[in-house]
Amino acid sequence: MASSVGFPHPTSSLFYNKEDLSLSAFPSTSQLSIYKCKKPISKNILMVMAPQQAERKPATTGSVKTPMTMTEKILARASEKPHLRPGDNVWVNVDVFMTNDISGPGSIDIFNKEFGENAKVWDREKIVVIPDHYIFTNDERANRNVDILREFSMEQNIKYFYDIKDRSNFKANPDYKGVCHIALAQEGHCRPGEVLLGTDSHTCTAGAFGQFATGIGNTEAGFVLGTGKLLLKVPPTLRFVMDGEMPDYLLAKDLILQIIGEISVAGATYKSMEFVGTTIESLSMEERMTLCNMVIEAGGKNGVVSADSTTFKYLEDKTSLPYEPVYSDAEASFLSEFRFDISKLEPLVAKPHSPDNRALARECKDIKIDRVYIGSCTGGKTEDFLAAAKVFLASGKKVKVPTFLVPATQKVWLDIYTLTVPGSGGKTCSQIFKEAGCDTPASPSCAACMGGPKDTYARMNEAQVCVSTTNRNFPGRMGHKEGQIYLASPYTAAASALAGYVTDPREFLY
Amino acid sequence: MCDSLSHASYSATFSSLASKTSVSPPPLFPPSFKVPTFSPLTVKPLSSTFTPHAARVTTITTYAATSPSSVPSDASTTTFHGLCYVVGDNIDTDQIIPAEYLTLVPSNPAEYEKLGSYALIGLPSSYATRFIEPNEIKTKYSIVIGGANFGCGSSREHAPVALGAAGAKAVVAESYARIFFRNSVATGEVYPLESEVRICEECRTGDMVTIELGESRLINHNTGKEYKLKPIGDAGPVIEAGGIFAYARKTGMIPPQSK
Repeated sequence: MASSVGFPHPTSSLFYNKEDLSLSAFPSTSQLSIYKCKKPISKNILMVMAPQQAERKPATTGSVKTPMTMTEKILARASEKPHLRPGDNVWVNVDVFMTNDISGPGSIDIFNKEFGENAKVWDREKIVVIPDHYIFTNDERANRNVDILREFSMEQNIKYFYDIKDRSNFKANPDYKGVCHIALAQEGHCRPGEVLLGTDSHTCTAGAFGQFATGIGNTEAGFVLGTGKLLLKVPPTLRFVMDGEMPDYLLAKDLILQIIGEISVAGATYKSMEFVGTTIESLSMEERMTLCNMVIEAGGKNGVVSADSTTFKYLEDKTSLPYEPVYSDAEASFLSEFRFDISKLEPLVAKPHSPDNRALARECKDIKIDRVYIGSCTGGKTEDFLAAAKVFLASGKKVKVPTFLVPATQKVWLDIYTLTVPGSGGKTCSQIFKEAGCDTPASPSCAACMGGPKDTYARMNEAQVCVSTTNRNFPGRMGHKEGQIYLASPYTAAASALAGYVTDPREFLY
Repeated sequence: MCDSLSHASYSATFSSLASKTSVSPPPLFPPSFKVPTFSPLTVKPLSSTFTPHAARVTTITTYAATSPSSVPSDASTTTFHGLCYVVGDNIDTDQIIPAEYLTLVPSNPAEYEKLGSYALIGLPSSYATRFIEPNEIKTKYSIVIGGANFGCGSSREHAPVALGAAGAKAVVAESYARIFFRNSVATGEVYPLESEVRICEECRTGDMVTIELGESRLINHNTGKEYKLKPIGDAGPVIEAGGIFAYARKTGMIPPQSK
């Protein structure tokens, strides 16, 4: 591109937290105090936090390169700079931009107002338009918003627009996918080393592919639509090391709930979260996506997992575009490092009303529940349903409360009806769900994860207690302001459905 | 063609900036930088039909007696004066604007107003005094005082927009979630200010407060106490410009609006 790199280095930060992000200024003591002041820590050391590292040496000139973290490298390449440090503000070239039905219309309006009614988007092949939030509803505005996406996509000849017209039957819409973050992955739009921006906070999910992915608002989206660039501040990186074999009663959801419970909902604000270790390497792509999905719940700017053979295998049949993974240098500086002994972790929940309100599932066994929800970008993927089916199969009994199943995408829905569950003698997930008395898997979308219009499937319209595989449990999140939401893994959600109480899945898995 | 024109001039802008900086980088914010450069007459960040936003740039001083057309000659005279509404920690975007209202598109003027009418409606019933009275569509509180991690949760821009549309001028919080902060600055809807101490514990909903941006100070007239605020810093000019687009035009990042 003709746009040159010789852009004046901003003398000071723009848009952002005004504190200079030199490492020495970083409030490490407040982090330590969060650690100390929590509820009594069990004698088993689950986590060790390394002391904050010394300030990085200034970059030297010449051919010696300053070690960089993965996030720094991705942003360096995207901004065409040889090296970057946390705190640098850079104009970044966007590889993929995604928008959906609730934030698309506003972004499109701003694009048109700012660049002109006849303006063209910067690249019709780098924009992915995915209606997914309020789809199966009679709400007129919601329906209108999908129409707006369509009009724009037609006008701009957007290559990737996953349209839906027939709301009465999702299967009648061949282009329709479902939940944007899962669709992005399944359709091959997530690639290592790239920059992906989306008008949704859970865009960070794509960090599972070793790319920089984060959420932005409508105004910045309008800017990206016209220019294909955005001014971003390079975040410092927190490192989370998880080593050891993953116990068979734990899922990635438990790992991220552990982390968020440790560092709090603001523990990663303005920072990148890098997940490393043998446990992480053993995770499937979908599990890595669950992990990165909730980075935003800790306030994180983005999350990353190194691309490896698991990543490359996943991508084989999904994208033919070339990509180049990047990896953190061995001598890269991290703000802090957290180590976890996986063998000591147990299934967790996040109690109402915060994702960092961590508790052991087994210590909540007296909490009577009214319903269970298995769905969303966090817990509605194929493997999430396979996990839930495993618990139902092991139990052989029926659920004691209404159990709502919402596959994230059409593909997930299909998998539920076609994939057989190991050890079941050839039964599909759908059969096992039916035998367990779960509700029929619903049309793929975000559905009730965030409440939505009043007629949204599985919306909580009364003050009830729900165990959910979703990502947030703030007051009113799933509809009713007094609703009580316990965030959990698909194992824990299924176990809780069977018991009618919040339940540790080991009750059924052994 | 509009597309090649805007794209070419955008690239040209970048490279012309590049040649300038080979001598010595000019600061992005010259010390003589003043607010009136950004009156809507010279820079139109948004379409002129979007009046609430344009009004924000000119009528920064909110004393009732001040005529709406007066523009402060200097950022240091920018003040906000009004009643404050106090909330706690971790006020997330679902509380600021519940998801069921996200079908409203902020750039649509009628829906912008409607969004405003729902601002902070998601706060639990433990907040007996509501931000907006039932049957009202605007708030009487021009300043929101919050605790830590204000605006956490979703990236929905509807959150700062709802607050701004409701009539809030500034939020003073102990700390912010980054996307909310970024959206506030990008839209120019509310000034996201940070306090040095937990003002939320020392102020009560309904207190009359004054914020002096130039002095980085908040005064609570009911208690008589003064608080130091962290300077708005470089986010200030972006907000005063009217948001990221106006700022980008002013600094030559993108070409002037063609219409």
